[in-house]
Amino acid sequence: MSITVERNMKQWLLDTIKPDEFAEKDLKKNGILFEALARPDQIQSVAREFLAQRYFLESLTAVDFAECLELVYHFNRWDGCRRVCVKVLVPKEGGVPGNGAWHAPTLSSIFKSANWFEREIHEMFGIVFDGHPHLKRLLLPESSTIFPLLKSFKGEPKGSDVAQSLKLIEEDAKEFRVQEAQSLTKKDKDYYLNLGPQHPSTHGVLRVLLHLSGERVLDGEPIIGYSHRHHEKMMEIQTYFGCWPNMGRLDYVGAMSYNMGYALLAEKALGLVPPPRVEHIRVLMTELNRISSHLLWMGTFLLDLGAFTPFFYCFDDREQILDILEMATGERLTYDYFRFGGVDHDIPQEFAPAIKAFIPGFRKRLADYDKLIRRNIIFEKRTKGLGVLTKESALSYGVTGPSLRAAGVAYDLRRDEPYSLYPELDFNIPTATDSDVYSRYWVRFREMEESLKIISQLVDKIPAGETKLARVPKNFPKGEYYSACESARGLFGMHLVSDGSLNPYRFKLRTPSFSNLNSIIDMLPGCLISDVVAVLGSIDIVLPEIDR
Amino acid sequence: MIPELFTIILYGTLVILFVSVNALFLVWMERRVSARIQLRRGPIHVGWQGLLQTVADAVKLISKELVLPSESDRFLYILAPMLVFAPLLAAFLILPLGPGMVMRDLNVGFLFAFALTNITFIGIFIAGWSSNSKYALLGAMRAVAQNISYEIPLLLSTMGVVLLAQSLKMSELVAAQNSVWFIFLQPVAFLIFLCSSLAEANRAPFDIPEAESELVAGFHTEYSGMRFALFFLGEYTAIFISSAIAATLFLGGWEGPFLPGAVWLLIKTYAIVLVVMWIRWTFPRLRSDQLMSFAWKVLIPFAIVNVFITAVVLELQKI
Repeated sequence: MSITVERNMKQWLLDTIKPDEFAEKDLKKNGILFEALARPDQIQSVAREFLAQRYFLESLTAVDFAECLELVYHFNRWDGCRRVCVKVLVPKEGGVPGNGAWHAPTLSSIFKSANWFEREIHEMFGIVFDGHPHLKRLLLPESSTIFPLLKSFKGEPKGSDVAQSLKLIEEDAKEFRVQEAQSLTKKDKDYYLNLGPQHPSTHGVLRVLLHLSGERVLDGEPIIGYSHRHHEKMMEIQTYFGCWPNMGRLDYVGAMSYNMGYALLAEKALGLVPPPRVEHIRVLMTELNRISSHLLWMGTFLLDLGAFTPFFYCFDDREQILDILEMATGERLTYDYFRFGGVDHDIPQEFAPAIKAFIPGFRKRLADYDKLIRRNIIFEKRTKGLGVLTKESALSYGVTGPSLRAAGVAYDLRRDEPYSLYPELDFNIPTATDSDVYSRYWVRFREMEESLKIISQLVDKIPAGETKLARVPKNFPKGEYYSACESARGLFGMHLVSDGSLNPYRFKLRTPSFSNLNSIIDMLPGCLISDVVAVLGSIDIVLPEIDR
Repeated sequence: MIPELFTIILYGTLVILFVSVNALFLVWMERRVSARIQLRRGPIHVGWQGLLQTVADAVKLISKELVLPSESDRFLYILAPMLVFAPLLAAFLILPLGPGMVMRDLNVGFLFAFALTNITFIGIFIAGWSSNSKYALLGAMRAVAQNISYEIPLLLSTMGVVLLAQSLKMSELVAAQNSVWFIFLQPVAFLIFLCSSLAEANRAPFDIPEAESELVAGFHTEYSGMRFALFFLGEYTAIFISSAIAATLFLGGWEGPFLPGAVWLLIKTYAIVLVVMWIRWTFPRLRSDQLMSFAWKVLIPFAIVNVFITAVVLELQKI
């Protein structure tokens, strides 16, 4: 059925746009099925058609070329890899960025996820999206005037940069106070609460602006950007090899998946085939890391619900995993271990026995968690029926990962866009149907069991052999590449534009929590403050990955 | 006149001394109990088994700066911690430590203690209001709503005991349990009492006024140093008082073989405190609306039925 949809979509696109602006691509190499170039006035109807065919907007970004700016839309479907790329050219006429001369139509009324994507492009490239309801800066301070992802942008010397941004943040705070005061005088019964950026339950520096009536939330908006470090710009001025450490510092809780993503991108683009030993090590590492990430989530989530004790048990288990990972990588958190076509160094002798010793103990612990947590009546009362995200809403926001699977969609890239050893492995994709906080807990919990299953399948069968390729190119051939993998939080996509030189021309990181957090806007209304914390905990966000 | 004044001062000093030592001990105990539950070791380095750790913490708190938030209501802000702490001291008046060993054996008995412990909620509300902080205000709102709801089942649950003993006097309540402890005659009342006193003392799973994962620290968010310590002292003293009253009403108070009465009362009280801590470190927190419906839809009906059945059974026995 999905193939029919794909064929129909292709035909529809061919009918709509000129045939010479349509190109078939290689899914194995470029990560997309085909690419189409649409006119700015066409993109809205194209997006509507994609939505009607139940595609979601996976990623939206822009690339700055000398003569024009290019908007890159990636659409994908939940039933396998149907990734399609649509591009729109925005001519660079009418002078400098910031004066509002560069225009493009907005998709925010069609895809809710486009709202934040477009705001990010607006602040980074200076493109104005006509009809966008809330076109403010997203990651940078609101009053800043720079457009960092334009090629014409040159970073200032370091000292003044820091001083400048501090000044900007200070001005922002002042402006916010004025704003708040104005809104308070307007409707003096309304009560605004800033949950964060310094708050115990926002898991980093996130601010959620809540509009309250008593304790009941009328609406809320996450405000992000407090840990923005601009990985994308950083990677533009580094070599391809130099980008590896960035991969460990995006999602520091589940960094192995990000290593995996970058390795996949390079291997697809360069046509490298890693040795079997490498594949085994990589999958073992990624799954161990997935368990440790879910454990950290479970502990902090229950801490948000007010239960202290599970936190320590989770950390006790996580510590054992970190010890195993440290044994092989030398790192405990921000892993920088994978390499193009290999891994940095071989695993030690005691690696496999350590995993084997860990598995039975952890199985027993999982049973304990189930008794302590899921069958607790207070836990059930606090989480069932709370923070429901409908399938349509999830589609519109481009939610992926366990949060999506809790809504009954069995979309997992390990199965739907198979990579590495996953096609040969036996594992299930846990789903739930209610799409509430409880389901999200239950899906993640069972994912740990599945990961453990994968690990126990592989741990005895690590083949001997090389862990590195002899020759690896230093640069990517000219072209565009997209690659995605399943991180602990959802779909992690990377869009690379290479001009053939030693540095990436443009590197877009599509991080799962970014879209997942955006969807919280639909879940908050009607919650109590206690529920806000539970809902926020249930979608499992890692802020540095959102802010990048 | 002079001896009267002397006893007041003596009792006051003794109570304050006991309250401070007791709070230090309870904090230590809480840490050790939670550590035992959570695969940790807790404080073990300062003093024997870490007993002096809390003393060191108290010294630290005393030496901290007292921060006054800008635009706070100065007078009320300073008044609130005292208002929370002081009434709890007076509640010690009615605790019977042994035969004849009670400072004032009042006719209204434990009602007096409840009346006093309730004043603390006025203090908590003042603290939340005067801090000029949104989290503190929300915490104070929750505290007041919670207190009003849980006062009713708390008192209703004790009525069964009062019917059995035919008195509110603490000494007579203990004497009435000579043959059998009331916990065996009134198990439902004991459970309701325990739940309600957890809520009264803001303990998990009913600790919503200071729910740290939601409201940062609730009503005492803006307090520092010794003012914060007074809230802390108040909380632990409240736990002790409600546990001691529970021990007196349901577990036979100071009665027990061999050891002196005061020791027995302490043993029973700390046993209840241990249960309270155990509960805290096991359960997640309830939500504020669930907390209210639990009081009004579960505890209060059960408490009323319990009083009714007790009264009927007593009347039937007379016939």
